Amino acid sequence: MPDRLSEAAASRRTFLQTGGAALLCTIGGQQLTLSKPGDAKKADAAAAAVKRPAATIPGKEAVDSLTFGTPEPQPGGRAVEYWLEVRAVRWTIVPTRKDDWHSITIPGSSTFTALVYQLMTPGFASAAGPPSVPGPVLSANVGDTMVVHVRNALPDRLRQAITFHPHALKYNPEYDGVYLGDYTRAGGFIAPGEEFTYTYECIPESAGLWAYHDHGPNHTLNTARGLFGAVLIRERDAKIPDVESVLCFHSWTPPVTGLQRAYQCVNGRAFAGNTPTIRAKVGQDLAIHIVGVDDNFHDFHLHGHRWLDAAGDVTDNPSFGPGQSVLARFTVDNPGRWLYHCHVLAHQDGGMAGWMLVDP
Amino acid sequence: MSFTSRSARLAGLALMAGVLIAPATAVAVDYPPPSNPSSKPTAPKGPFKTYTVCNKAKKPSGCLKTIQAAVNKANPGDTIKVQNGTYKEQVSIKGRGKKYIKLIGNPKAPSKVILEGGNKLANGVFINGADGVTVNGFKATHQKANGFFVTNVNGYTLTNLEATLVGVYGMYAFNSIGGTMSNSTGAWNNDSGFYVGQTPPQTKPVRTILKNLKSYGNVLGYSGTNSRYVTITDSKFWNNGAGIVPNALDSEKYPPAENNVFTRNEIFWNNFNYYKGAPWPKRETSVAGSIPFPVGIGILLFGGRGNQVTNNKIYGNWGAGAALVQALTLKDATVGDLKDNKVTGNTFGVGGQDMNGTDIAYTGNGTGNCFENNTGAVTYLPTTASTFPACGTGVVNTADPDALGALLGWAIAEDHEAGWKRGTHVDKPGFMPIEIYVEGSVK
Repeated sequence: MPDRLSEAAASRRTFLQTGGAALLCTIGGQQLTLSKPGDAKKADAAAAAVKRPAATIPGKEAVDSLTFGTPEPQPGGRAVEYWLEVRAVRWTIVPTRKDDWHSITIPGSSTFTALVYQLMTPGFASAAGPPSVPGPVLSANVGDTMVVHVRNALPDRLRQAITFHPHALKYNPEYDGVYLGDYTRAGGFIAPGEEFTYTYECIPESAGLWAYHDHGPNHTLNTARGLFGAVLIRERDAKIPDVESVLCFHSWTPPVTGLQRAYQCVNGRAFAGNTPTIRAKVGQDLAIHIVGVDDNFHDFHLHGHRWLDAAGDVTDNPSFGPGQSVLARFTVDNPGRWLYHCHVLAHQDGGMAGWMLVDP
Repeated sequence: MSFTSRSARLAGLALMAGVLIAPATAVAVDYPPPSNPSSKPTAPKGPFKTYTVCNKAKKPSGCLKTIQAAVNKANPGDTIKVQNGTYKEQVSIKGRGKKYIKLIGNPKAPSKVILEGGNKLANGVFINGADGVTVNGFKATHQKANGFFVTNVNGYTLTNLEATLVGVYGMYAFNSIGGTMSNSTGAWNNDSGFYVGQTPPQTKPVRTILKNLKSYGNVLGYSGTNSRYVTITDSKFWNNGAGIVPNALDSEKYPPAENNVFTRNEIFWNNFNYYKGAPWPKRETSVAGSIPFPVGIGILLFGGRGNQVTNNKIYGNWGAGAALVQALTLKDATVGDLKDNKVTGNTFGVGGQDMNGTDIAYTGNGTGNCFENNTGAVTYLPTTASTFPACGTGVVNTADPDALGALLGWAIAEDHEAGWKRGTHVDKPGFMPIEIYVEGSVK
């Protein structure tokens, strides 16, 4: 594989220069450190060996024997359905091979095998669009239930259980989508070829944008290599913004990708011209949701604009941590080419930057 | 036929329905008892061998004369390549020792590798308890029972197949988990072109996918008794007695049919009145005068829960385009009730032409059944469409005994066409609508 370093070549010094970071994973009781290209195979092997949890949870506590029903929408609400298939795809982080901000070439291959939540048509009949990192934005209104059918379509070489775990929706333990060893409920282990239907309640406190990700036996690695996305819950009578973007800030490192360098990414791409370009016109109601889906803290700095944060204070550079989201919503008032980027400057220089183009 | 009171009428209809929905036991065939398919199929690791089969008079060395001889030699995962020719045998692939065998004929021209049943052999290919078997590139014809029959397995691949003029089902999967049927044709079969039935209930199901199928000239295009987790997509069902019929019966385990999805199919011209003639012997059932299913229906949900009929094109079915009727023959009536089925996003008719006799018919039975975003639908039973709530909370289904009576009346009518409203079909290059079979036209 030309885009992989051999273990010998990936000296510690080279690795650190490329911005890599080790992933610490606990998989089925086995602790692994993924520190260099190729290490993902160790995690995959460990995940493949994780046995299906027993159907009956050992009843150490009363809560372990509780049973739960499937929630229904609130009056006036709907059951909003999505069909997601977990697949492996070849993904290119820098398709243009350029950084449009600095007008420089980004050398080397940036293509690797990512995992994605692929939006499908009902019944998993066919793909509803191209595979993407992040997965599709799943939207619903307060009062709805969100019904998410998830199918594990990983190939044999990546054979392992996966799950789907959203933040901030209300769910009972069956729909938590988390692998808990002996305490795992039905939604916490979807083996290859299987599907599971999660049902979540979109309660008033769910309003907003939140991350979803894999929380199966190998979730640390799988989330890092693309199994993430966002749910967007609106108040039922909320005004829809004229322009709305969802930006997932994350990094792809050599232990995850097998590539020679790390990339600091927005929505699976790195460097302006590859990351999403936001387009708006002066006077439009713009909403940019930003969510962190890696292990780092980030900022979202947008040039030329400012807005009120959740506390009512003016900002143009809110910080957010892993699994946390922020909203930049404002009336666009300043035409021109503007930069957005993470204000952790090492992240910015690693590719976590993009354009916003505002027409008069 | 008249009834003196509503209760008497319903009782009478239910009784008739008991006669109406006879299981497909038209041909005496010894079927194996169901056994639980494995919960976790494991693919063999090899090394694998390849066997070649040919039935030429002067067969080359290393070429086996019968497919069964090759199957008998094969170990799990081995490949059997069958050369063009006609093979008068039933191929049996039984037990775990034959799992993941690949039976390869001519995928580009399946009709050149013929399994000829001679109206004597039961099945073309019969797979029992062997997980993950692939059958690719064959034509099965004149079997007493089924063209390709899979039972008690976890996973199968049936692709590039043709099944014609068999006694029961063209392609048949029973008591199995997962599996695919694709790129195949089922035509002129004495029950359904394609069948999936008695799917074991699963907490985390493995879906069965039927894709890119052609089904015509059968009693039913697709039948799914107590089937679940089946997706049928990108397929055409035409010139059958009825197009797609998931159903619930006590004759098989695990009623009803549930969590099936029928999407992006073309379901048209299903008006083949086989009672007036067919290329097979007249069906003989255990109940004198029984009628398997009505004629002239595009898609019929006979009972079922959580099924979705979405984004299909449904036109030119003289009875009803889509019909929903509770499975009122079940001993446990509540199992037969319709629950949480959705009919959404379908297109009825072709731009206002080639309309169905009635676009959507629904008895109003059950709970949570809803109808939304269907375009082109103009005729309903009941005519007021009062039983057709949109999806969302507060879906209220109200039973309409008159609609039930009308639908059952259609089915039991002597000429099988009582509910028909004929229109004019659109021209469709390469397709010819058939209502009456012309003797000798199919062999």
